Amino acid sequence: MASKRLFDRIDSIQLRGVTKKYDDRFAINDVSIDIEGGELVIFIGPSGSGKTTTLRMINRLIEPDSGTILINDQNIMELEPVALRRNIGYVIQSIGLFPHMTIAENIGLVAKLEGWNEKKIKDRVEYLLDFVSLPSDMFMDRYPHQLSGGQQQRVGLARALVMDPPLLLMDEPFGALDPILRKQLQEEFYQIREKLGKTIIFVTHDIEEAFKLGDRIAIMDDAKLVQIGTAEELIFHPANEMVASIVDTSKKFKHLDTLKIKDLISPLECMYVHDGSLDIESAISSMIGKNIEIAVVSNGSFPLGIVKLIDLLRMDDKESKIIDHVVKIPSFSRNKLLSSSLKIMQKDGHSMAFVMTDGKLSGFLFPNDAFSQVIG
Amino acid sequence: MDKEHKGVDSLLLSDLVEVWETNSLTLRTIEHLTMFSIAIVLASIIGIFLGLFLYSRPKIAHPTLNLLNLVETIPDIPLLVLLLPIFGLGSGPTIVASVLYSLLPITRNTYTGLKEVDLKYVDIARAMGLSEKDILFKVRIPLSLPMIVGGLRIALVFTMGVVTLGGLIAAGGLGAALIAGIQLYKINTILVAGLWTGLLAVIFDGLAGIVEKRLQRRYGIW
Amino acid sequence: MVTLETILSHTADHLVLVLMTLIISICISMPLAFGSLYNKRFGYVVTKFANLAQAVPSFAVVAIVVPLMGIGFYPAVVAILLRALLPIIKNTYIGLSTVDPSMLDYADGIGLNEWQILRYVRLPNAYPAIFAGIKFAFILINSIAILTAYIGSGGLGELIFQGLVAFNNEKILAGAIPAILIAIAFDIIFTRIEKKLTPHYRK
Repeated sequence: MASKRLFDRIDSIQLRGVTKKYDDRFAINDVSIDIEGGELVIFIGPSGSGKTTTLRMINRLIEPDSGTILINDQNIMELEPVALRRNIGYVIQSIGLFPHMTIAENIGLVAKLEGWNEKKIKDRVEYLLDFVSLPSDMFMDRYPHQLSGGQQQRVGLARALVMDPPLLLMDEPFGALDPILRKQLQEEFYQIREKLGKTIIFVTHDIEEAFKLGDRIAIMDDAKLVQIGTAEELIFHPANEMVASIVDTSKKFKHLDTLKIKDLISPLECMYVHDGSLDIESAISSMIGKNIEIAVVSNGSFPLGIVKLIDLLRMDDKESKIIDHVVKIPSFSRNKLLSSSLKIMQKDGHSMAFVMTDGKLSGFLFPNDAFSQVIG
Repeated sequence: MDKEHKGVDSLLLSDLVEVWETNSLTLRTIEHLTMFSIAIVLASIIGIFLGLFLYSRPKIAHPTLNLLNLVETIPDIPLLVLLLPIFGLGSGPTIVASVLYSLLPITRNTYTGLKEVDLKYVDIARAMGLSEKDILFKVRIPLSLPMIVGGLRIALVFTMGVVTLGGLIAAGGLGAALIAGIQLYKINTILVAGLWTGLLAVIFDGLAGIVEKRLQRRYGIW
Repeated sequence: MVTLETILSHTADHLVLVLMTLIISICISMPLAFGSLYNKRFGYVVTKFANLAQAVPSFAVVAIVVPLMGIGFYPAVVAILLRALLPIIKNTYIGLSTVDPSMLDYADGIGLNEWQILRYVRLPNAYPAIFAGIKFAFILINSIAILTAYIGSGGLGELIFQGLVAFNNEKILAGAIPAILIAIAFDIIFTRIEKKLTPHYRK
């Protein structure tokens, strides 16, 4: 049974005085927000501040006690919930790929329920896997537990896009990933966002992520919307102390001058290291086998740079050696000052660097991650 | 007379063939497996439906499972003979008793499996726009399958046991061969029929175990 | 006509057989289970074998004892033990060995010796599992003790089999009903004890 396409594009989403109580506690308290079509709005706030509850109200997983939610001026309470949800993509931190279905079945499930034919479903699944940088012939017939966390989250995004919904709800989609992967997926997501052309509502607790991805940022605290605005507005005109303390990271960086790289190192695991003489074909199978997305290329004793799995997958000449495709990244001694290293990285636009101890590779430095560790 | 007292070591292939033929063990095996299959099919259908029903009526789930638990404690032969006045002698009461014993593991595992499906899958299914019916058939039931098969495996063992006892109430099957052996004190008959009955049960249990493990592995449970 | 005395004396015989075999199986199982704890290979073999043996129908076990030991009370005891030992060993072993490793680490850290760990950490943790094993073994024994009347153990099964041969319903019931009552009575008692033994912090 095919459900009606409720809206081809989003013109506006409006929350009007939305309130939800559990017993005597407010989950959200009189929240009003206007979201424009095509916008990426990020909800951020401490846990229990009501950001996830707000998100889950938009696809009616939670229904408000009072107040109304309008999408394109239609009250969502007047829409059939199943139809509404098929028009809204949903991606969550725990991903929740169904373990009994293959990747293709997971992505195609709703399309199948909508009565699409096999061919159309298969084409759509292939298109979406390609869109999230997973080679479809390699992944379609696998089961979720055979995929790494990052690969699973890519599939989670593909699954949410299957009906080409004009609106996407994302609840800390990168929250459970390790730092290397999180940075990379954020980067990729930032790049495909334009191509997606969708209205996106995104929940996170990572202010760096919010600044990086969001058009506007909504700050929630204690079940209330405290302030919504662009990064600049929040930084220069914070509504109160709480907003200032969330966005104004400079105060917290006062002691940054004294920090050294070794304080914020992400340790290296030896599975990341691959020899430069390896051909692309074997590097790909090794990386997929180890569930890693980035490999350190070494010449036997010294790290030359990195290669990314998605880049390798796109290479035409699978016979060539990975040493020919190395991306150089900076390397620092572990005793170097953090502030100066970060400046160098910022200047050259690097998102990661090697950390060396006694001339040997001992870990990585991720500036964004370093920031959030300092803030946290 | 001589042959029977040669003991275990001298059970030769020719003796085996002779014992097999004089006791028509092929026929007995067919009877045995027929009762077994009918009982298992019936118990699976009733048990899975009952499990689904209890899942939809959580209020009566506990009392029902407790009642089935009580059935489980009743010793097998007393249960069989209590069924005699209702179902007569033979395979009828044997199959009914097997089903009664098998209901608990199948129903309980179906019910528990459905109830304990990780809520994150139900939540995401709902968010994707699956109706409650779709959630039951596409998510809850498939995710409970390893658990349901686990219950079925226990039921297989119970049923093998009861079907063998059926020989005592003229139901035929391999139990009948065991009785013949004991009554006539024919050692070879007892050994061949006993080992064959045990082997058959172990094989079926092993096959069910393989299916169970496959499901678990496919679902990434371990 | 079955007299009350007949029923009572057969019930007594049945209870003697059941309780005796239950106690013997506990006495044999416990040392073996504790032994498996310190010899992993033995523990592995026991659990594997217990799983396998559990699938074998009781009647087959009872029958196979006959060529080995003949008929009578003692062959019946052996047949019952063959079935009842393994579930108790297996449950006890699993109960003793599946202890939260951090708890063992801690116990080690505060200087408990092997015996003290067994006494104060492993054993209390294993009570529910040990008990479930004994309860399961009891249900098994109560069933097989009727079947073993077929190889001359006496007891309630004897009444049932005499009734079956003579098409005497009264005799059949005189054997079956006490056996069922015993099962239910023990189930109630066991459930009570089980509740007491299960620590309050565990549901």
